[in-house]
Amino acid sequence: MQKNRIQQLHPMTKFFFALLVSAAVLIIPGFIFSFLVFPILLVIATAAGIVKEFFGTVMKALLFLLIIIFFMQLLFYPGDHVMGQWGIFKWTEEGLNYGLTLTSRILAMGSAFILFFRLTEVRDFVKSLEDAGLPPMGAYVVLSTLQIIPEMRRHANTIMDAQKTRGVETEGSMLTRAKAFIPTLTPLILSSISSTEERAITLESRAFSAPTKKTSLHKLTKSTADRILPFVYIIILIGLVLWRILR
Amino acid sequence: MKRSFKDDFNMMSMLLIPIGVAVNIVGFQIANVLRLPIFLDTIGTILIGVVAGPWVALLAGLITNLINGIFNPTYFPYAITSVAIGLGVGYLSKTGMFKNIPKTIISGIVITFIAVIVSAPITVLVFGGATGGTGAILTATFLASGQKIWSAVFASSFIFEIADKVVSALIVYFIVRKMSDRYLSKMNYGTLYMKREGR
Repeated sequence: MQKNRIQQLHPMTKFFFALLVSAAVLIIPGFIFSFLVFPILLVIATAAGIVKEFFGTVMKALLFLLIIIFFMQLLFYPGDHVMGQWGIFKWTEEGLNYGLTLTSRILAMGSAFILFFRLTEVRDFVKSLEDAGLPPMGAYVVLSTLQIIPEMRRHANTIMDAQKTRGVETEGSMLTRAKAFIPTLTPLILSSISSTEERAITLESRAFSAPTKKTSLHKLTKSTADRILPFVYIIILIGLVLWRILR
Repeated sequence: MKRSFKDDFNMMSMLLIPIGVAVNIVGFQIANVLRLPIFLDTIGTILIGVVAGPWVALLAGLITNLINGIFNPTYFPYAITSVAIGLGVGYLSKTGMFKNIPKTIISGIVITFIAVIVSAPITVLVFGGATGGTGAILTATFLASGQKIWSAVFASSFIFEIADKVVSALIVYFIVRKMSDRYLSKMNYGTLYMKREGR
């Protein structure tokens, strides 16, 4: 896969950027800056060539939630400055402000992390965590989880089809559908568990728990940008904190 | 039985974590496919808590939310809830609270309280009382009837959690009953649930 310059950055550089955005959003009061973050992230996503996936994921994950949050604050946040009324609902200035602040912050932080995970392969991120001191077992657990999930999903479908063939009902009243849950899940769990023994033997036969330093086929490199950017982030962060205190 | 913190993390229990996390995620999807009104997204965490103890279950809960968070970052704050559920289940299991059906139901109620007490503050402080889906409509109904935000969120999440957690605990009980003694004997807390009393 051809990667461009932004995607090639070290995972930690990108991760710290997401943290910086989250911190900045919390430090700077009001909602104007926070709402500006999303367009900025969109520009970065465009430059990295993943704008479509990024935008799609943000819409799918956050849009509905943000709308609900906004209307709940607007209608129910305690305040005295009533701006309008509709039936039993009335909205206040405080509610509008809090609703905008809260939604802008969630949008900014949420999309920053969505962008991070669209830009970074989880494999690279886990490797960078391992370099930073995560035990190899932890890295193995996270990576094998990611592998097992789609495997298990396929397996669950197979089991469900098999149970349907045997006459287990998956349509109909809620009780009927609920009854189909256990015959699907039990074989799924029991068969997956029996495979852990094989995994354990496989790992041990490769001396996985031997107390030596592990070597890795997958290596991450740091470019000049990766060395400079973290310092830039720290300077920006200190600047923001000072600005907030001194203002 | 005395055991140290480190003893909980043996190879077999670590390898159970990916299974538990996948069960959480796939269980939720099966519940979706069957259009059940409950989430059933903590079965894996509870299962690990029962057979492998609090610390392994804590990790499983954490990893579940981190992996869900890759596609939807709103899961990140709720990692604290999953961690608390894992710990709670582990300690309940230590005292044999999953040994029969009545005890399991009590455990399910305890887990519900843990989940509500830990997740309600997150819902109020981070998301202003809203959660995606039907829970928000219920919360809004309570708010419209004049309740304060905290009591509204506590009440609506309690209603949604109680059925979910008790059913999950019961499902775990039946699955643990079906596990072989041979496997349970290898898990740190599994010996408590073996059918034949171990020697």
